[in-house]
Amino acid sequence: MTHARTRPRRVYQDEVRARLGEPEAMIRAKILDHIDEHSHRFIAHSPFLALATADAAGRADCSPRGDYPGFVKVLDERTLAIPDRPGNRIADSFGNLAENDGIGLLFLIPGLRETLRVNGRAYPTDEPDVLARMRTEGSEPVLALVVEVAEVYFHCGRALIRSRLWDPASQALAAEIPSPGETAVGQLGLDIDPALLDRNLEASYRKLF
Amino acid sequence: MQQTILDRVDRVADGVVSLVLRGTTGPLAPWEPGAHIDLALPNWLTRQYSLCGDPADRESYRVAVRHEPLSRGGSEYVHLFLRPGRNLTVSLPRNNFPLVPAPEYLFLAGGIGITPILPMLRAAVASGAGARLVYVGRSIAAMPFAAELRASHPDRVDIVATETRDRPDFAALAAALSPRALVYCCGPGSMLAAAEAVFPSDRLHTERFRSAGRAFAPNRAFDVVCVRSGQSVQVAPDETLLDALTHAGQPVPSGCREGVCGSCELTVLDGEPEHRDDIGAPPGRMFACVSRALSSRLVVDL
Repeated sequence: MTHARTRPRRVYQDEVRARLGEPEAMIRAKILDHIDEHSHRFIAHSPFLALATADAAGRADCSPRGDYPGFVKVLDERTLAIPDRPGNRIADSFGNLAENDGIGLLFLIPGLRETLRVNGRAYPTDEPDVLARMRTEGSEPVLALVVEVAEVYFHCGRALIRSRLWDPASQALAAEIPSPGETAVGQLGLDIDPALLDRNLEASYRKLF
Repeated sequence: MQQTILDRVDRVADGVVSLVLRGTTGPLAPWEPGAHIDLALPNWLTRQYSLCGDPADRESYRVAVRHEPLSRGGSEYVHLFLRPGRNLTVSLPRNNFPLVPAPEYLFLAGGIGITPILPMLRAAVASGAGARLVYVGRSIAAMPFAAELRASHPDRVDIVATETRDRPDFAALAAALSPRALVYCCGPGSMLAAAEAVFPSDRLHTERFRSAGRAFAPNRAFDVVCVRSGQSVQVAPDETLLDALTHAGQPVPSGCREGVCGSCELTVLDGEPEHRDDIGAPPGRMFACVSRALSSRLVVDL
């Protein structure tokens, strides 16, 4: 892939606003500053979220978190806790939060088009009473992320409708992507059988908690 | 598995709700006092609850659930999100705490531990046996079914709220115990320990919500052979038999994962299990969540 000869031109924020129009008052009004009954029920049924952070210099990162529905605990109406399950140990989110505690969460529920967004500030904890509530398949996480909630709102379903995200037929797309082993061999120029890498990865997926 | 619909959710004490689950495909499976069911919740968790209704009622099951402050998602879900009208799948009843026929019984219940005792008391009274219940809790308001017990069996039931009265003296109860009486105890670990300290073990029947947390010899690795497929699975010292089997593609149903509910029972065909459960595995059976092996190899019916 080569670089575009000229960068796409930039549209500045005042003009962005002019072109998109102002949001309706009702849209602004639905932004809550706490977890209400409806957002609590949503979080309690969500097995997946995307978690966005940035470091002090604004270098941004977004990572997936998935678990049992309700894996994010509502400690009170302004506080959430997210377990840190075994992953790749890169811990970009923790590194970013140490410099810049801003966090954005997008919760999804399979089959549901609307999503829930929660923004706030976050820090890691090892509070035993918090970790105890996250015990799954006999394992407690070593750390959890405490999120102090600032904004909570439901996001409309257009993106998920357009993307046909929950349409079973959409899963045919997955077959068009090479396996993780093939991708790694290609990206790293390895002289290894991709099937071996795929088998190792599958074996590592057996222990999830 | 049995299909039910949640008919009623009633608050029966501070922090306790009772659920009535009505069968949707004919009569529900029969059960005896002491039995529990696995309840599959919409959030993918499965929890065990003692049946506390009437065994003669084949239309519905009744359970009672306390909202645990450190809920891992089971009791919290039941309290905050379950609503009547929801379809729920439940297991067949399982009984690790059966009521053995006897001329006299002493029942000891602590808090939500009253649930299996409730049908036991009714059955004992109906059989003409002598029966007495000592029911201990923090406050009357937090003790489910206290009022109805007091009303229906005023002369048999002693309700002790520890915020206003001293804990019952188990040693005195043991000293006064009739030689013909059996003792049934369900409650928190501290209560079971107090009962185990004074009542003769051959006459004391207990059921726990949590593992007794006993100490065992250090874990050793062993192999387990799944006889139906011939697959041999290594169980590492830091891994449970349940997890090793599941990770090897031999999934075993499980519930409490601490040796109290009995969901993960396996049939052992060869080798010597090291039983670490709090149920008391029958011969030839073991509970994969906590139990391991004394022999280097086990053969199981999987």
